[in-house]
Amino acid sequence: MAEATPVQIFHMEEKRRQYRSGGFFLKVGLLALFVLVPFLFPSFKTVDLAMQIIIFATLVASFDILLGYTGILSFGHGMFFGIGAYCVAFLVGKYGTPSYANLALGFVIAALVASVLALVISFLSLRVKAIFFAMITLALAELAIVLATKLSGFTGGEDGISLNMPGVLAVSFNAGNFLGLEITGRILTYYFILLACLGLFLAMLRFTHSPLGRVLQAIRDNVERAEALGYKTFVFQAISITFGCVVAALVGGLYGMWVGYVNPESCLGVLSIMLAILLMCIIGGMGTLYGGIVGAAFFMITETFLPDLQHLAKDFFPSAVLLHNVLERWHLVLGVLFILVVIFFPKGIIGSVREFIDRRK
Amino acid sequence: MEETILKRWSRELTIAGAIVLFLLPLIGIPGKTYMTLTIAGLAMGMLLFLVASGVSIIFGLMDVLNFAHGALFAWGAYVGFTVFGYLMKWVEADSVLQNFAAFSLAIVAAMVVVSLVGIVLEKVIVRRVYGSHLFQILITFGATIVLVELIRVFWGPNDEVMTVPLTFSKSWDIMDIIINRYRVICIAVGLVVYGVIQLILKKTKLGTIVRAGVEDRDMVQAMGHNIFLLFTGVFAAGAALAALGGLTMSLFSLQVYPDMGGTYLLFAFIVVIIGGLGSVTGSLVGALIVGLTYNYVAYLVPWAAAGANIMIMIIILLIRPTGLFPVGK
Repeated sequence: MAEATPVQIFHMEEKRRQYRSGGFFLKVGLLALFVLVPFLFPSFKTVDLAMQIIIFATLVASFDILLGYTGILSFGHGMFFGIGAYCVAFLVGKYGTPSYANLALGFVIAALVASVLALVISFLSLRVKAIFFAMITLALAELAIVLATKLSGFTGGEDGISLNMPGVLAVSFNAGNFLGLEITGRILTYYFILLACLGLFLAMLRFTHSPLGRVLQAIRDNVERAEALGYKTFVFQAISITFGCVVAALVGGLYGMWVGYVNPESCLGVLSIMLAILLMCIIGGMGTLYGGIVGAAFFMITETFLPDLQHLAKDFFPSAVLLHNVLERWHLVLGVLFILVVIFFPKGIIGSVREFIDRRK
Repeated sequence: MEETILKRWSRELTIAGAIVLFLLPLIGIPGKTYMTLTIAGLAMGMLLFLVASGVSIIFGLMDVLNFAHGALFAWGAYVGFTVFGYLMKWVEADSVLQNFAAFSLAIVAAMVVVSLVGIVLEKVIVRRVYGSHLFQILITFGATIVLVELIRVFWGPNDEVMTVPLTFSKSWDIMDIIINRYRVICIAVGLVVYGVIQLILKKTKLGTIVRAGVEDRDMVQAMGHNIFLLFTGVFAAGAALAALGGLTMSLFSLQVYPDMGGTYLLFAFIVVIIGGLGSVTGSLVGALIVGLTYNYVAYLVPWAAAGANIMIMIIILLIRPTGLFPVGK
């Protein structure tokens, strides 16, 4: 037998360690927590919060494929997310009856539209400089909002579109009581989306750990060297961008299913969605995929409980003016935090923690 | 073969294309409206040039893509708004002299304040991320969040109405063509700024050093010039241009609001992509193209106005990926 290459040895080591490390149990525990959320905290608010965290964690992971693994900054990720949401909404809301086939078709169309658009954008922008990608996607994202608002006959304009789910996913569906929980269409939708997001996440993990993913990291770290080694960097970057954007579109469709309503502001907004994705990705840690979960959890939890926190602060510390002002100007705090993280912890929470653990070993 | 012909005649082809583009709307627009639209388009183009040239110069010398330019633009507009608030008597007076005094004071105040903000931004944040485009975009984007939020803190979150100085808002009537005075002022300001930038870059020692810095940063440093001081200066100048653009643009659109930077930053990006990132003349040409098309298309097919410029940008990217006036690096 031929001697194992260093890469193979590394892989074998990795596999051997996989089931013994604390990280593995942490991941399984996290998944179990998300599975049990409807049973443990059946209130609408917590289930909704858990679902938002799951959806945005997957979305941020797909953004991370572009930013962290390919080194390309896109301001159009929210646009792809919105395209997915709109495609599904067209099929089961505006132009079709709610049926499983239409739902599936919606996701297929979302993936197709996203892949074509992503390829076109990569072709236009990557020929010159990678930074053109940021500028062009920003322009197209703004255009998408304008189109979604102006072509109101087609997209429903500012009012948006309501979605109706088919069969067991419908809001009115009820399968009775199971372990003290009403199994409604909403709960089933929760599990469907959880499963879909898990699948997408595993697919992304596979993608980044494949030989292709390693080439992408090589390109990110040193374009000239990767080119000199004979890789067509443009092709690899285009593949990665397309993959990330397709995942974003699919996640957008799932988001539409959960919220049951799609409009330009909530799905396409550069300032609302894109800013959230960027913050989550940077704070969680880019180039890790798991950073998305931490970032999304941090962002969503603070966003949900911020009004409560403000009330608490006013009730318990009526004299602490500084605290009130900080809570009132939450975006300012987030912005400063963002800059500090970029300067001092460019690897984000996950990356810094990993570095800390590695150093202690 | 075909490609070489395209390359050899590219400049002539672009000029011809520009002329065709410029005259094409005559088919669908009556002559007088065409003149009014053209002047409006030129004015808007000049204002966009003020914004875009800042982005372009900062990128050309420092290799920094400044996403915070839009926020600086909004700061300029708000500082001008405050100055106008103090000088309301002069603004509302029916005297060209007093109007001009208020206008110039607002411009000076906006440019000084915002270039100070720019200096702080460069020294504290941008300096740490030289060399990495990705981190530059991220960090200046973070700066945008902070700066826009600070506008909300200082000036409040609402839209405010910008008062145009009384004599500026009147119109001239030349052979039945109605010409708004402020638009003419915009065109004049744009031309003056273009002239001043070219004069500084081409005729002064400072300009020579800056241009040399664009060519070869290390060599300029080796010659004993403090390149970091130069960078701070260029960043401050870019910020001042953003402020000037913001103030004049807010008088053009008659309002100020905290998120206004985002919209015009987008226009600026389209302009620099069309004109060529790093070139001042490119910014001027790109800005005029964008301003004119926007006005023509908004008159002919109102809903397509936002898309037309992006279409032009895409076409230019297909034919000349580095823009109309590429800067060799």
